Amino acid sequence: MTPLAAPTSPSPPGRTPRGPWRRTFSVISSPRLAIALLVAVLACSVAGVTVFRGERAWVVIFSTLWFNGLLVLLALSSGLTFLVRVWGRKLTLAWVGMVVFHVSFLGLLGGVVYNSFFSFKAVLRLTEGETLPNGDPASYDTIEAGRFFDFKRLRGETTLVRMHRNYKVEGQDKRSAYEIAVGEGAARTVSTIYVTQNLDLDGVRYLVSKEGYSVGIILRDRWGKELYAAMVPLQSLPEGAGNLLYTSGSIHGPSSFPFPPPPAPADLLLQVTYVPDQGKDRAGKVELATWPVSALEGSPAAVQAADPHGGAASPPPAHTGTVPVGGTFEAGNRRLEVSEVRYWVGIAVRHDPGLTLILTSLWAGLAGMAMTFAGRIWQDTKRGKRGSSGREPDAPAPREIT
Amino acid sequence: MNVEQVLFWCAVGLYGVSASAYVFGFIAENEKLLLGGLAAAALGFAAHLVSIGARWAASTTNPFISISESLALGTFMSMAIFLLVQATSRKVRPLGVFVLPVVFILLGWAGTLRVASDSQLAPALQSPWLWVHIVGASIGFSAVLIAAGLGLMFLLKDGRSGRIYDRLPSTTDLDRLGYRFVAGGFLMYGLMIVSGALWADQAKGSYWNWDPVEVWSLVSWLIYGIYLHLRITMGWRGRRLAWYALVAVFVMIVTYWGIPFSAETFHKGFRVEHEWQPPVDGIR
Ligand code: HEM
Repeated sequence: MTPLAAPTSPSPPGRTPRGPWRRTFSVISSPRLAIALLVAVLACSVAGVTVFRGERAWVVIFSTLWFNGLLVLLALSSGLTFLVRVWGRKLTLAWVGMVVFHVSFLGLLGGVVYNSFFSFKAVLRLTEGETLPNGDPASYDTIEAGRFFDFKRLRGETTLVRMHRNYKVEGQDKRSAYEIAVGEGAARTVSTIYVTQNLDLDGVRYLVSKEGYSVGIILRDRWGKELYAAMVPLQSLPEGAGNLLYTSGSIHGPSSFPFPPPPAPADLLLQVTYVPDQGKDRAGKVELATWPVSALEGSPAAVQAADPHGGAASPPPAHTGTVPVGGTFEAGNRRLEVSEVRYWVGIAVRHDPGLTLILTSLWAGLAGMAMTFAGRIWQDTKRGKRGSSGREPDAPAPREIT
Repeated sequence: MNVEQVLFWCAVGLYGVSASAYVFGFIAENEKLLLGGLAAAALGFAAHLVSIGARWAASTTNPFISISESLALGTFMSMAIFLLVQATSRKVRPLGVFVLPVVFILLGWAGTLRVASDSQLAPALQSPWLWVHIVGASIGFSAVLIAAGLGLMFLLKDGRSGRIYDRLPSTTDLDRLGYRFVAGGFLMYGLMIVSGALWADQAKGSYWNWDPVEVWSLVSWLIYGIYLHLRITMGWRGRRLAWYALVAVFVMIVTYWGIPFSAETFHKGFRVEHEWQPPVDGIR
């Protein structure tokens, strides 16, 4: 008869990894993993403001799936580790506070993840008087949409009625405010938004973001017949000493562009620079320069180079001149009329369905911290009166004081 | 120089005098010098208070916006809490040995960065959250500064005896008081981050952008979160935590004033567009 194997020492109930679920649970709720994750998130955060900075940090770290995955794991792991450790302790204010705090941490990250799947964040650029459909991705300059965002949420259209500069509310200067009309058909909501006041329609928010000048250009033939007209939005390029250059071009600097723009056939290359009047809004001078379209054919860089501010490499323009707003400029067999100056604005359009959970969690977290703090002080004071050793009642035994 | 500036520099000078009195008084174990340090600190605080008041009265906005103003507020709050602690317990008088040199250096630094206050509050700042934010930040900083001072007291007292050392509270009390200040500071700093998030959400539509100011705040907040775990979860006490509190406050100072203000700050004024904008067809 073979003797029965001596039983191995029994594990405490509920602690043994019994199936894959249990095993996963015990791995996720291990304090070592939680601490390792916390240190990893800290290290990535520090790297994101030292080694990589600004835009690069966003691309390389903060926007990536792995970093956000790390955050989710941290939330899960710290939440579970915490709960496993403190479960069943005596109900005290400090204990409730700690539970509220760590659960809110879970709520916060849950909200962030949920939001990242369903959110929408874009910039809608409109010149005064212009209307664009909200549901058409082509209306936006930049779009960041969550995997499961449904464009059908963005109903109706948006019109920029007017941009107000130095907009005052109860005597306070809000600088720029956008008067917008949003909605479908006749049911339009007209609202003036500024930096601390946004419009929330059906969970879609409209916020001020950026603004600039658009110059109205009318192209005529030599007899004055109108061939084409457009508002040309200008860049605001920093020129040192806090000055801005308002000109056609890109982030890299001023440049010309085909006019009329594609898909219409180009008639000439045009460079527009606006010098605002110091006293009067929407007035001032406009510097114009033109090149024949053939300048494009030499090299693709010709458009960039065809720039009066661009230095030695630029082919000289065929015609240049400065006219006041409202004036007309003769460019060979063409006439260019600077009809007016308007503002264009970039409206940030956002849908963040996780926001309520996120903001509630933030407040709950603060409340939890406050409760723990008050609870600890209270325990301390009680203990002080009783003259005990000064050890927190629900803390492990102190390690050595080295 | 106007009254406000004169008072500002008087405060810096008095804090300098107080810092020296504390440090030399402690080295020489001279109680009278420590008392002199406290008197100079109280006078400096009065000048500091009136200088902030005068700046506020003379400006159309509030004087807590620029880096120099932020430093002046942080040190002001630290001195207020320091003096409150002094008023409630005589035992911790030598706390000034740490607090005053730091306050003196920070306020002196603020003096070199002074600019005229803005005539208008930037629109993004015109929110009640501003108040919650700066109050949370300045009290949070003050609390962890005091905690670091208590940490230094702990390290100085531990294992030593002598006239000055014997008067200090017991190491257990210093340790526990230090923890309270860290926990309170952590809470206030949390308030600063939460109010900042709500405020950014209101102004920019996003509560968190991982921008340098936010990330550095998070890092310094987590550093104190780790302190709390070392104490509560791992049972750390005494020397190691005292060292931790001392090092952490310097990280806090660098992350709070050193780095964020050199990075690009929150949008201001008439904003700049940098992207390529293709022309839009048709005005009629
Ligand atoms: C790595 C993940 C985390 C784990 C494993 C964890 C675990 C714990 C545990 C077990 C406690 C209770 C200590 C005890 O009484 O035994 C606790 C308390 C606490 N935790 Fe965490 N936690 C984590 C993340 C965080 C984070 C990120 C924060 C915020 C910075 C935080 C803030 C707190 C606070 C404020 C307390 C109360 C401390 C006190 O009583 O003063 N925890 N945590």
